[in-house]
Amino acid sequence: MPRILDRVMDGLDLETFLVCQSDEEGRRLIIQLLKEWGFSDVDIVFSQFQGPGSRIRARAYVHRSGDVYGWLKPEAEKETP
Amino acid sequence: MSVKRVLLVPLDPVHDVGLKMVRRGLEEAGHETILLPPDLQVEEVVQEILKRNVDTVLVSRTLGYGVAELLARFVDLVDAAGVREKVKIGIGGMAVRPELAAELGFDAGFGPGTTVDEAVAFVEGREYLPEANRVAKTKVNFAEGYSYACKHQGIQEKLDVIAGMILAWAAGKTSPGVRRAAIRDELWDVQRWRNYEPMTEFTAAYVRECGELPRNFYEKGILHPKTRRFTREEAVSFEDYIRRTKEQMQLAKLQNKRTKPLVFNQYGTGCPFMDIGHVKVSEAWGADGVVHFDPSWGARTEGFLDGFLTHQEDGTVITPANLNRIKNALEPSTLWQVRAHRGLNTPETVVLAGKIGADLTKINICYGALGGGTDPERLTVDALAAMRYAAKYAMPFDVVTNEELCGVPAYKAFAGMLITTALGVRLGARPVLQPLFCKSPEVMVGGQMEDNYVEFNAAKVMALREIIDAPVWPGAPVGFLTQTEDRVQSSASTAFHAGLAAMLGVDAVTIASSDEAYSGGPITVPAKVDTLRAVGEALRFYGRTTIAGTAQMEAWRDQIIAGIDQVLGEVVAKGDFVRALYDGVLGSREDGAYPGRNGRGTVAQE
Repeated sequence: MPRILDRVMDGLDLETFLVCQSDEEGRRLIIQLLKEWGFSDVDIVFSQFQGPGSRIRARAYVHRSGDVYGWLKPEAEKETP
Repeated sequence: MSVKRVLLVPLDPVHDVGLKMVRRGLEEAGHETILLPPDLQVEEVVQEILKRNVDTVLVSRTLGYGVAELLARFVDLVDAAGVREKVKIGIGGMAVRPELAAELGFDAGFGPGTTVDEAVAFVEGREYLPEANRVAKTKVNFAEGYSYACKHQGIQEKLDVIAGMILAWAAGKTSPGVRRAAIRDELWDVQRWRNYEPMTEFTAAYVRECGELPRNFYEKGILHPKTRRFTREEAVSFEDYIRRTKEQMQLAKLQNKRTKPLVFNQYGTGCPFMDIGHVKVSEAWGADGVVHFDPSWGARTEGFLDGFLTHQEDGTVITPANLNRIKNALEPSTLWQVRAHRGLNTPETVVLAGKIGADLTKINICYGALGGGTDPERLTVDALAAMRYAAKYAMPFDVVTNEELCGVPAYKAFAGMLITTALGVRLGARPVLQPLFCKSPEVMVGGQMEDNYVEFNAAKVMALREIIDAPVWPGAPVGFLTQTEDRVQSSASTAFHAGLAAMLGVDAVTIASSDEAYSGGPITVPAKVDTLRAVGEALRFYGRTTIAGTAQMEAWRDQIIAGIDQVLGEVVAKGDFVRALYDGVLGSREDGAYPGRNGRGTVAQE
């Protein structure tokens, strides 16, 4: 996981339009995509299937409450892109 | 400052809006302006410069194919006419960059995002200081200036009777919550605590009045299972983060030309660090105030923990250290509300929040007793103490009517709100009315919002204004139950409700994030930005427009007022406010409201 994710305050949303044949397929595909990208704490926030596919927003939590947050680390320790 | 003579030259065939805005700024600053018609030849413009004897020329032109050559030729012609040394020339427009302007021979270039003041500064030959344009916010006590005069004689008479009835009933009664609040008030010194001085007298007395969870904490060091202490390293990193963030903070204002409504949002991620992360973003995106949410178990627990604690679920634990850290991280202008309304720590929350420096709190007997799970008798005794402390610590409190979310009709919820308000006023406090702007169960069943969300919400505010001269702060949050997991819909809905609130001239609104309806995980900070941006757009859109009353609004207003009057009459007839709560006069089991059980049997005579 690149260190730049330390800068994400809490969650990272992926919002797009997936060409698919059902709401279920859209949901499955976007979760699969986030997992392929290396995220494990993932969920669908919103999905609306109509006509050609799904307008869909998935979320990967990078920092949940109570975690140790990367963005709290002093500037010097952070890896800049 | 000398008056400048400025020639404004729209070389663009159509776009002279920017120049017209600059003209207004220059004229307001006392300068003379001449705006040429659009699309003159550059030779004609040079003739105008010679003829008009101007100090400065401001040209607007969108850059495009061949335009750079045209502009360079214009500067050459001015030079050839022998006036280039006497006249400053600036160029503005889409795609203009200062470097390009200098290359073409101009004295300055103004691209997208240029402010009028920046152009005026160029004309006046002074340095442009963006700092001067930063939003300067000051903290506003919006509960000031209201008389609390009751305008409805029948309702006033009933409220007087009920307030007197409650005060007489509560005389000599106490509870563990009242005693802990008194101990916190008398024996807990915030300055000594900040200096890490021991307060053994306080702790000894306090623990005796606590329930099992806090007692285990103080006596055995056992924490709530969902909490943990921050490490020293985390605390140091946090302080560093706050310092860095404060250095780069710029505030935004959402109200455009309005002074109100102030916009509040809520935090309560469970973790004070994450809360502060959210709060600083909210401040930067225009929130005027923030509301502290504690965990639901906090309302059922007799007493507070201590220490700098994080919590793994929703709601940030109220401890002196947590509140103190959050308070210190706020911008000076940010209003800070700590909710006290619904649980077994109601009066002590007010004391602690007051000592640490909160601006506002939240108290409502009826919601806490019918929708918040606390026993009516207990909460009545505790809320009276809380209101006395709110007066002592000069903290206005809102009287939230969230029992509407249980299904209690607005008129019953408002009757309860007005009873708490009347008590608060009698005890020297400054209550703030908080009607819900909400698609509540009442309207889902009754159909009042089948056509629009405007008229019934407006009728609520109109009804309250007919009854009492008091501040109004719709919440909490506005648009609750109209939001979905779609962030566009949710943000739009929030913005429309806030816009309605603005047009009704209310004092403040509490808004949710666009994650309000999402239950799969914590609210994220971009979701807070979503609704703050949307509300800013709505307030910009509506400006200072007001809304006209409709016949339907007036009909519902009158129904609500009549309902309030009737409910208050029933409470008077009962002769016992607490009994009225148990018996459902202010919200019944049929409505969906149930008298709470937490703290039952804990009220005693002093």
